Amino acid sequence: MAVRIRLKRIGAHKAPFYRVVVSDSRSPRDGRFIEEIGTYNPVAQPAQVNIDEEKALKWLQTGAQASDTVRNLLSKAGVLTKFHELKQQK
Amino acid sequence: MSMNEPDALGKTTRINLLFDFYETLLTEKQRTFLKYYFHDDYSLGEIAAEFDISRQAVYEHVKRAEQALEGYEQKLGLLSRHEVLQEQLARLEAIGLELPVGSAERAALQSVLEDIRQTENLIDVNPNREVTGDGV
Repeated sequence: MAVRIRLKRIGAHKAPFYRVVVSDSRSPRDGRFIEEIGTYNPVAQPAQVNIDEEKALKWLQTGAQASDTVRNLLSKAGVLTKFHELKQQK
Repeated sequence: MSMNEPDALGKTTRINLLFDFYETLLTEKQRTFLKYYFHDDYSLGEIAAEFDISRQAVYEHVKRAEQALEGYEQKLGLLSRHEVLQEQLARLEAIGLELPVGSAERAALQSVLEDIRQTENLIDVNPNREVTGDGV
C-alpha cells in the first residue's frame, strides 16, 4: 500500500485553501485521509504555510511519497532539509 | 508537469483560481481531469489507473484544459481584474481602520466596502458550484 502526502483543496470560491493530508494512494477522492499534517493558504499576503514538522518527518521517514506540490511546500517550510539531514545521520 | 516541477505549487494555485472563474466554459471531461489533478493532487499515473487510460492521455487532457483556461483569461481577464480589485479593497479597508471607531465616516466606508464585495459575489459565474471538501 503506497502512502502519499498531497494537497486537498477546500475553501471558498475564488479563495483556494488547502489541507496537507496523508492518504492511501487508493483512497477515493471524496475523501477519507489518514492524517492531516498542515494547511496552506496561497491567497493570504504573504501565503501562509502551516506544517506539523514532527508528523511530516515521521511520514517521510516511513516512506510516504509527497506530491510535487507538497514537496514545494515542505521545502519552503524547511522540512525537506531536515529530512535529508536526518537521513545522513543514519 | 514532470516530476519535481520547480513551481508546482504556484501553478496549482493559478489553475485552481482560473478554474473558479471559467469552470462553466469547460467540457465535463476537462473539469473532471482538472479536479483530480489540481484539486485533489492526484498524480498522472494515479488518474491514468483510475480511468484506465494511458498516462500520456491524461497528460494531454490536463494540458489542453489548462490551455483552455489560460485562453479564456487572456480574452476575458476576470482573474487579473479580481486580483487588482482585492488589492484595492484591502487598501481602502486599511484607510477605514484609520478613521475613529464609531465615526459616521468609518461606518459609511465599511458599508460601501461591504456593498462592493457583495456585488463581486453577485457576478459569480457559478454561485452554486460545489467546492470539494468542507468550506472554510
